[in-house]
Amino acid sequence: MTATGLTKNLKKRKEVDGEVQEPGPFAETVGLEMLSDEEDEDGGSGSGDREVDEFPEIDTRSDSEDEYEGSEDGSDEEDDEESSEASSDADSGLHIFPESKTILSNITGQLKHVYPEIEPDYDSDSSTEDAPNRVGNVPMHWYDDLPHIGYDMNGKQILRPARGDELDKFLSTVEDPTSWTAAFDKTLQMDKPLTPEELDIIRRLQANEVPDPSYNPYEPTTEWFTGKGKEEVMPLTSAPEPKRRWVPSKWEKQKVMKIVRAIRQGRIVPFKPSSSKPQFYSIWAEPPSSHPPPLPAPKPRLPTHSESYNPPEEYLPTDAERAEWEANDPEDREKDYLPKKYSALRLVPAYDRFIKERFNRQLDLYLAPRVQRTKLNIDPNSLIPKLPSPNSLRPFPSYRSLRFSHDKGRVRCLSISPDGAWTISGDEDGVVSLWEVNVGREVKRWKFDYKIGALEWCPRLDISFFVVGVEDKLLFLIPPHLPSAVFTLTKSVLAPATLPPAPATPSPIKWNTPPSSTSADSPILTIDLPSSSGVPRQITWHRRGDYLASVSSSEGQGGVWIHQISKRHSQAPFKKIRGSVQLVLFHPLKPHFFVATQRYVRLYNLAEQKLVKTLMPGIKWISCMDVHPSGDHLIVGGYDRKLCWFDLELSDKPYKILRYHTRALRSLQFHPTYPLFASSSDDGAIQIFHSRVYNDLMTDPLIVPLKILRGHEVKEGLGVLQVKWCYGQPWLVSAGADGNVAVWCS
Amino acid sequence: MASTSNVGPSHPVLFTTKTPYPLPSQKFMIPSTWKRYQLSQLINKALSLSKPIPFDFLVRGEILRGSLGEWCAEKGAGEEETLEIEYVESVMPPEKMSSLPHEDWVSSVSCQIQGFFLTTSYDGHIRSFDYSQKLINSTQAHFAPISSLCVIPTSDSDSDSLLLATSSHDLTGHLTKISPASSASQSIASLHLHTAPLSSITTSHTGAHLLTSSWDGLIGVWDTTIPTTDEVPLDEVERHDRDRKKRRKIADDVEKAIRKAPVTVLKGHAARVSKVVFGKDETKVAYSCGFDSTVKMWDVENGFCTNTITASEKPFLDLAITSDGQTALAASTDRTISLYDLRSTTTHSTTAISTLKHAATPSCISPSAISSYQVVSGAYDGIVRLWDLRSVKSVMASFKTWDGEKKVLSVDWKRGVVGVGGEGGLEVWKIGENNS
Repeated sequence: MTATGLTKNLKKRKEVDGEVQEPGPFAETVGLEMLSDEEDEDGGSGSGDREVDEFPEIDTRSDSEDEYEGSEDGSDEEDDEESSEASSDADSGLHIFPESKTILSNITGQLKHVYPEIEPDYDSDSSTEDAPNRVGNVPMHWYDDLPHIGYDMNGKQILRPARGDELDKFLSTVEDPTSWTAAFDKTLQMDKPLTPEELDIIRRLQANEVPDPSYNPYEPTTEWFTGKGKEEVMPLTSAPEPKRRWVPSKWEKQKVMKIVRAIRQGRIVPFKPSSSKPQFYSIWAEPPSSHPPPLPAPKPRLPTHSESYNPPEEYLPTDAERAEWEANDPEDREKDYLPKKYSALRLVPAYDRFIKERFNRQLDLYLAPRVQRTKLNIDPNSLIPKLPSPNSLRPFPSYRSLRFSHDKGRVRCLSISPDGAWTISGDEDGVVSLWEVNVGREVKRWKFDYKIGALEWCPRLDISFFVVGVEDKLLFLIPPHLPSAVFTLTKSVLAPATLPPAPATPSPIKWNTPPSSTSADSPILTIDLPSSSGVPRQITWHRRGDYLASVSSSEGQGGVWIHQISKRHSQAPFKKIRGSVQLVLFHPLKPHFFVATQRYVRLYNLAEQKLVKTLMPGIKWISCMDVHPSGDHLIVGGYDRKLCWFDLELSDKPYKILRYHTRALRSLQFHPTYPLFASSSDDGAIQIFHSRVYNDLMTDPLIVPLKILRGHEVKEGLGVLQVKWCYGQPWLVSAGADGNVAVWCS
Repeated sequence: MASTSNVGPSHPVLFTTKTPYPLPSQKFMIPSTWKRYQLSQLINKALSLSKPIPFDFLVRGEILRGSLGEWCAEKGAGEEETLEIEYVESVMPPEKMSSLPHEDWVSSVSCQIQGFFLTTSYDGHIRSFDYSQKLINSTQAHFAPISSLCVIPTSDSDSDSLLLATSSHDLTGHLTKISPASSASQSIASLHLHTAPLSSITTSHTGAHLLTSSWDGLIGVWDTTIPTTDEVPLDEVERHDRDRKKRRKIADDVEKAIRKAPVTVLKGHAARVSKVVFGKDETKVAYSCGFDSTVKMWDVENGFCTNTITASEKPFLDLAITSDGQTALAASTDRTISLYDLRSTTTHSTTAISTLKHAATPSCISPSAISSYQVVSGAYDGIVRLWDLRSVKSVMASFKTWDGEKKVLSVDWKRGVVGVGGEGGLEVWKIGENNS
């Protein structure tokens, strides 16, 4: 039935679309058919209505029929009405709003909407529509117990309509196809079919359309200003056209380029899922946070006695305290106010720091750090390494006991006899003095024509002599007043009656023993180094006293020689030397040989003829070096003021670097027996260090600076040129550029 | 006495003395502001001495240096406490008497002989001067520096000649007979034992025995009887030297000496022995000190060490025994002179009674022959200091010799005269000695 109705409707729409101007009779028939349709529908919907005695809708229907009839009178608008009727029919023909008619205007000759006139009578207001029940908007359950449900306009009771049971409802849904478009009307207490207008609204809402069927969202635009003949000929302003009108917008370009750049860099990806978050989720599903609630704000400190306006006298600051308070920075002050005393409260002036204090309090509550407090709560003394007190490390040299002066020339070198009783010192004037360590009385003096480069006493105790290095020569001298046994043995060692056989390979070095008739003051043995080898810069003895190494100051090759006394033979340990050799040293225990070039210290094994290791002190120019009596530690000093302590078993790099001197280091020496070493420098100072080394490999050496000995004058930029320890005693002998040799005693 | 009525606190004081100027034993109320000068004036006035004598005051064995009140505050003595104050005659400020320059450093000086000064020098000469500063005798005893000198008392009262013992760096000691009044000298014997330079030689008060100490750690005990033949053969080197005849004529005299061997050798020091002395008035006990920081007591007759005082890191340079023989003073290179009580019976006592602190290395000590409290010490800074052992905190008096940094190597104090030998020669100063 509905299907046939629909096809008919479609047919009608086609007819309407196709021919707007339709002859009247056709329209009549259509109207009739439609009426019949409506009748049918009404009949369907009115199945429930019929139970009501008086149904006002019949009246409205009749009214509209009247209208139709009335409208038939208007010959002009008949076609329009019919067409509109037909169109409304196509839209199920239901209107809740007044329907507009589109007519051709007599004035403009164009189409126009014409709305039916609203009659301002009682009926026109929908709120006054005649609902049969006139009880008003009261809860209907008030009438639950009553046979009627209200009263009509005339005050007569409206009886409760009969309500079927569930079976009736079911039957009605089965039998009556329009029952599903009915809704329960509370005031009438019965199901009432929805009107076609209401059904249309529901349908439109379901289809997401505008509920008003007469509203056309796609109306053609009305051109008011554009188009032919509508141009504005006269400009509105006479201002010249701004540049932005015809220049592409830079700002837009920037905006676009920003997006373009983001696309190129892949920051904007098309079709990216918006977020992984589901569209709907339970906001209470997450477990509650386990964090403690924020702490309450701290309470401000309570004022103390000193903040009183009339504090007791003992709280008032003294002048010194006041001055200190004023001298301090506000961060460093212990209190941020000074207690003041007023005899009466009325004399107290306005509190000048109020604003600032409130502000700071607010910042405190806001947790806003205002002052970067870098104050470390560390006792500065605890940062100083725990070193034992120098007093507990006695004995060490602490004062100058005596001084021995060379008349002229700076004293370059000195040496102390192995019994610790005698000192020899050589100056640049060529004088070698032998003097008693303890009294400082010169006993003997030798004078040479050249400046003395190095001196060294033979470490053997059964014989007694020393070697003096002058220009191209090593001279062997015997001190006076020797016991006859020692003297005889020394002579036999240095000038034996039968010379040992000459070595197979000839050496460029000559060993000369002067004839015995020469005086006792002359050297007993002379070693002629190769000519132009210069002044020997260093002479060092092997511990056994048979080998002695000399380093000459000449540039280039051949500076280092090792001389063997017993075989009267000299050899160059190196065929080729890289860099200029500064110093050499014999290892005290092993057959090792230290060679210091300008920057590195190399350790050679003389027995196996190979390089053992290279030490890198990181000094630009090595000036001095000494090896610990245990042979495991080496100290190296440089002209760049550094002193490096090497643990030979630990690393090629220094274990410790000390920079205590202000000028270049000149000399270093370990004490042979006491745990001491001394360094001297061009700043005229000698520094004494305690240096305890341990046999176990776990404990690091303990180096404690003990004493700075001052007393040498700096002359021409040179300070203390050599220091030597006294054997057996913690005494130090130092030779200075000022021509003095000082003995420092504990 | 009128000043006792001064306002201010005063102390009850009892004066005692051993001087020939005693006060009646009676309590005095002394204002605590009084110092030595007021006390001295008080005693002078109380005794009404014709010539004022300055006094020093010993409060409980200590020299009073500040005011009486300061002393009480320091010692915590109560105001009501009666103080017993002993007074002694003051030491007069030292006076320089003469200066005798030498060609070389003077290593040892002796004022033992009345009327003469004997010096030994680093050039090997023994010189004698009379009180008129005239060089009377100059004898070359050694060809090496002489380190010390002692005058051997002889039993015969032959004032013409003196027997001198010298020790030298040439490893020998020498006995030389000189006559101080003339230039005559005779080398008698040479002492051969040591293999290192000798550091000191000393004689017993009887003159029968000698002790030598040396750098080789040995102490030689010698008698002074002169043998008729050499006891020690000439070693090769010296024979060689003698054969070469390169020495001067005067050397022959030296070499004519008879070579003597020691009676006993005292071994025990581990390092150089710097000084050996006999005990006071006895020949059986000797004391020695050395660079091994020990002071040893020796039984000379039997040749063993009876007691050792071991100090820590004090290489001793000189040793002296006070006149009462109970205290040893030892100078060490740590700039102190340590006092050791010799009566203590423990074999290894180490603590010093007290120390006398110096500004430089003390090199020599000479105790007063009369007073057991007074000591003179010389140091390398050229200052000779007079100490009172009852008050070791500061020096009683000091004087500077040779106007500067010249080392004092030897002092000898006899009969109120101090001979100071050292780098600048010999100086003679006068210091009165207290007889207390």
